[in-house]
Amino acid sequence: MAALRSSSRLLATASRSAFRPAVFTRSMATLGDATNDATPKNSSASKMKKFQIYRWNPDQPTEKPKMQTYELDLNKTGPMVLDALVRIKNEIDPTLTFRRSCREGICGSCAMNINGTNTLACLCRIPTDTQDMKVYPLPHTYVVKDLVPDLTHFYKQYKSIKPYLQRDTPSPDGKEYRQSKADRRKLDGLYECILCACCSTSCPSYWWNAEEYLGPAILLQSYRWIIDSRDERLSERKAALDNSMSLYRCHTILNCTRTCPKGLNPGLAIAEIKKEMAF
Amino acid sequence: MVSIIRPALLRQTALAASTRRAAGVSTRLAQQSVRSAILKNSARCAAFHTSSRRSLLPPGPQVIKGGVNDPAPVPETSPSHGSYHWVFDRAIAAGLVPLTVAPFAAGSLNPTFDALLCSFLLIHSHTGFQNIIVDYIPTGRYPMSRKAAMWLLNIATVTVGIGLYEFETNDVGLTEAIKRVWKA
Repeated sequence: MAALRSSSRLLATASRSAFRPAVFTRSMATLGDATNDATPKNSSASKMKKFQIYRWNPDQPTEKPKMQTYELDLNKTGPMVLDALVRIKNEIDPTLTFRRSCREGICGSCAMNINGTNTLACLCRIPTDTQDMKVYPLPHTYVVKDLVPDLTHFYKQYKSIKPYLQRDTPSPDGKEYRQSKADRRKLDGLYECILCACCSTSCPSYWWNAEEYLGPAILLQSYRWIIDSRDERLSERKAALDNSMSLYRCHTILNCTRTCPKGLNPGLAIAEIKKEMAF
Repeated sequence: MVSIIRPALLRQTALAASTRRAAGVSTRLAQQSVRSAILKNSARCAAFHTSSRRSLLPPGPQVIKGGVNDPAPVPETSPSHGSYHWVFDRAIAAGLVPLTVAPFAAGSLNPTFDALLCSFLLIHSHTGFQNIIVDYIPTGRYPMSRKAAMWLLNIATVTVGIGLYEFETNDVGLTEAIKRVWKA
């Protein structure tokens, strides 16, 4: 944690860079600047864990994707999978490619398939057992490189539902559009979605029909605008979903709800849209 | 069992493909080098793949329609394939529950209810199979297969419909038949 505070890091680098190899000072994810120096005894009780990571390089398109194994000492690594990935990239293999940004589950960049579950690497703890950890890109996506999936179509679909407030009448007092507390409460559990695509890529229906079916993430966003009391295009929004593919490819499999790293319920949102459309 | 022999199978197919490709253009020496390289690669790759290579309807290369910043196209509104269809599906499914239970609970064999049960079953299975076809055979990539599957389903439904009608009018009927077979 000390490494994340800028003031202490400035002081630390000034005083320590003379004794320490460069490898240690540049790594954000390596734990404990202070403890490492004081306790070299940790090395005897090292907790090694193997990480099998999906690798594919677009520069060698004829080569098949493969799993590459890296071994890390968990005592020297942060608690989350993202920490391990950053450490592998910093210290073992700089060619490993993945997206990451906020490291606290609010940007949705580091969505990947970890031990068979779609989740955010920054919110997923490294299990302390000795089994190998398997990390894949999001399933059924076109891979750009290693753990980076191509989400172009996902974002195009998001754009197609017009994810913004649409109104014709100005607010009565000329100020902002007001909303009752009850109406605001309807948006809880919907506005938190960060569009990490974990749910959509875990949905078998989305695997088969990604071109036309919108998928849980986009439908949750769609519902967020359908029930917004300030929005005035309810009928248009519903008409856009009223065909066989966009919404009704959902067969209530509920992988989306099970996998959501933010604990949201896209399955419920889709069910609410279906109810809204029914009568 | 298959997983044991799969690497060998894969190596063979890779070899065949490589030699076919190499035959037209290069000398025997080049062929040899290609062959050895592919052999080495295929052994490693074969270990990686755990699922069968004979996948049904595999996804093609990625196609992005329009520019990357354009919204994905929105399909035309058609409630008869959307919301009405969904409500109709649920209504039929819900209606099947009392129709299935009633004759056995009441102990009576009413030909009208029997006919209703048969027609509901027929419609329920027809829309169910339609859903499966729509899910697994996308129109965009396999328009011909989609059409063929749909017509096959229509023919099957009509055949079953005629069969049920014959069974109801000339034989004992569905409920009675189940009653006779059922030895619980």
